[in-house]
Amino acid sequence: MTVLELRGVSKSFAATAALKDMTLAIEPGEIHAIVGENGAGKSTLIKIMTGVYQPDSGEILVGGVAVAVRSTQDAQGLGIAAIYQEPMVFPDLDVAENIFISNRAQGSWMNWKRMYAEADALVAQLGVTLDVRRAASGLTLAEQQTVEIARALSLNVRVLIMDEPTASLSAHEVARLMTVARALKAKGVAVIYISHRLDEIFEVADRVTVIRDGQHISTKPLAEVTPHGMVKDMVGRAIDTHAVKTAANPHGASVLRLEGLGRAGVFRGISFDLSAGEVLCFAGLVGARRTDVALALFGIAPATEGKILLDGQEVTISAPQDAMARGIAYVSEDRRKLGLAMSLPIFANISLASLRKLLGAFGIIDRVAEAAMAEKYRKQLSIKAASVRVEVAKLSGGNQQKVMLAKWLETTPRILIFDEPTRGVDVGAKMEVHNIIRAMAKQGVAVLVISSDLPEVMALADRVLVMREGKQAGIFDIAEATQEKVIGLAAGHDAGLAEAVA
Amino acid sequence: MIAQFHPQTLRLIALFVALLATVLFFSTQIDSYLSARMFTRITTSVAVILPIAVGQAIVVMTRNIDLSIGSTVGVVAYLTGEFLGGHAGLNPLLVALLAMGIGGFMGAINGVLVACGRVPSIIVTLGTLALYRSFLVQYSDAKTITTASLPQWLVDLPQVNAFTFLGLEVRVTVVLALASAIAIGLALTRLRVARRFYAVGSNPDAAVVAGINAGAVVFAAFVLSGALAGLSGLIFLAKFGNITVVAGLGFELKAVAAVVVGGVSILGGSGSMIGVVIGCVLVDTIDNSLTRWALVSEFWRDALLGMLIMAAVTVDTFASRSLGRLGARKAAG
Repeated sequence: MTVLELRGVSKSFAATAALKDMTLAIEPGEIHAIVGENGAGKSTLIKIMTGVYQPDSGEILVGGVAVAVRSTQDAQGLGIAAIYQEPMVFPDLDVAENIFISNRAQGSWMNWKRMYAEADALVAQLGVTLDVRRAASGLTLAEQQTVEIARALSLNVRVLIMDEPTASLSAHEVARLMTVARALKAKGVAVIYISHRLDEIFEVADRVTVIRDGQHISTKPLAEVTPHGMVKDMVGRAIDTHAVKTAANPHGASVLRLEGLGRAGVFRGISFDLSAGEVLCFAGLVGARRTDVALALFGIAPATEGKILLDGQEVTISAPQDAMARGIAYVSEDRRKLGLAMSLPIFANISLASLRKLLGAFGIIDRVAEAAMAEKYRKQLSIKAASVRVEVAKLSGGNQQKVMLAKWLETTPRILIFDEPTRGVDVGAKMEVHNIIRAMAKQGVAVLVISSDLPEVMALADRVLVMREGKQAGIFDIAEATQEKVIGLAAGHDAGLAEAVA
Repeated sequence: MIAQFHPQTLRLIALFVALLATVLFFSTQIDSYLSARMFTRITTSVAVILPIAVGQAIVVMTRNIDLSIGSTVGVVAYLTGEFLGGHAGLNPLLVALLAMGIGGFMGAINGVLVACGRVPSIIVTLGTLALYRSFLVQYSDAKTITTASLPQWLVDLPQVNAFTFLGLEVRVTVVLALASAIAIGLALTRLRVARRFYAVGSNPDAAVVAGINAGAVVFAAFVLSGALAGLSGLIFLAKFGNITVVAGLGFELKAVAAVVVGGVSILGGSGSMIGVVIGCVLVDTIDNSLTRWALVSEFWRDALLGMLIMAAVTVDTFASRSLGRLGARKAAG
């Protein structure tokens, strides 16, 4: 008898299919792991199960009965709850109140004594110690998760979804969460455990489902699963045709050298050499702190340990101005927040980082030269817009990305850092962006690319650096890299797995 | 030793000490300051402001603000006064319900716009602050409600003593205002539904995940604020008898000052009614004392209120930042 079942569930956003004919059956009292690459459709799956999204087609069954889940309240009523990487608690309320805030069984009058007693009992059931009278504002992330789990338990949860629950936890806290998951299982609750960390899955799961490209690939009891097979299932697809690397760029002189770079509490021990004309890709899972390395190199969140050497000279980069003055450019992954002035026209965005060049008499901007500069890039990068006076907000994602590229190309950087250069960009524009990156490298620019898209890494990189949990997990030439090896390193099945699948 | 107290308790103690210091300071500056007359003067003045401060506190707890209450007080005072001119025999309890009903309706307009329209409360209530006042100007046609048209019980109400304590006379209006604060204070700690004001202000996203209808909670806060402004309007009407178009003008500043000084976090989610009462008394003590202080022109009253608001928030910000740092060190160590 299943407690929760999905039958042929599909969900599309615009032209993109996030879930295709998804089928999943969850038994009571099991810990069911769901794994898949970034973008495999895990988030959409959770949102469908918790009523945030409605499926386009297909059925959801709870206890064998077809149901409609139209809101999180609906889901709660059916006994489905979720906890996330970032817990949702009320910082100003104490632990017990956080647990019982929307619990009708507590009656209309606050009986603080009774509430504390019941909260104590719930927390004890989870096998953890936590003072239920403490304000939630002082709790660690792990403790906040405990509060959320206790809240779900008090509402008679039947299915608890844990979405990347350990992403920000320490080893000790992870162990505690495992205890809690097992305690829930013993009470007959079905736990859906979503994680990138393969070791955790092998420790706690009863069954494992692999999804890929929005589709169900396999569901197996843990005993029949090997790390090797799981990674194969996750990667699975044939490498895209455009992703074939033409020829390795000839490496020039070393431009950038990092020696044990780190930022306290964020990342550490990053070391590599980057030559002119070389493309180094940073691979890893979301949350591996790759962007933080870029932010340190660009001076937004400066490094606190280790060395940065440019042309063999040690330099200090403590602000973006330092980085720009030394020829480092950073093309952000967050176009809206850090990359573009959305309400300004194309030409104003392109000229933004090189206005000094355009200054005429009395420090007035030469508008003709500014327009010519923008026009040059519109042709060169084939930015699709009626004119350079069009607002950037009106462009497609790919064209916005090109405008951002143009802005940094005009500063004639020696080191270009791309952070997820093709996220949210369609396939055609993606190839164009790849071509621009390759062309830049050919002109002798040293290029760093952060990408969660493995085929993209394979297509662009001369070398690959894999990060895991803020540390450098490995660095190797593209000739030695396989998708399995990169995923294995990124997910934490160290040397053993990497060798097994290499 | 100090660390043993809860931060909120510590704050209340500090506030109370500040109140005592203020009273002591003015007693050295103003002749016959510590008198029964001065006590009555300040407490009856607090009686007008306290209900709107209580309402404001609930709104601020939900991460909103109600700037329209000054105009609400004026409109309620005028409309109630006008109605009583024609229906002098109306039961006092019904009069109170009428005043709170008018105020509650005006609050509901704010609430709908903020909760359903998703317009920031500072914009909505800034708009209704002007709208309600203009309505009053237009509607009253610059006429004044006078004591002559009001029933005798209402005119006498401000002079009626509820009880005498150590020679200090506590007026009925003061008891009425305090009762509203106590009732709301008890509800906020005892009534489960009322805890949602704290929850929504503390983390609106978490409230939605926890299955709380955040919009309904915010709406309720504005209705309560309006209804309590209605109570203030009635006490105002009784106290002054003559109601012109400027009735209640600038009360929003006093209410926000009392709430912020009383320790309700402007970021929502925390605050107590005891704090609001002490904050209210402190604000009104300063206000009333400045009018009789020879050294400073009374035109500085508003400036001082403004400074008090800024000082309270600044102290709060610094205190919570250093508390946060302390917490982080503890967690790390």
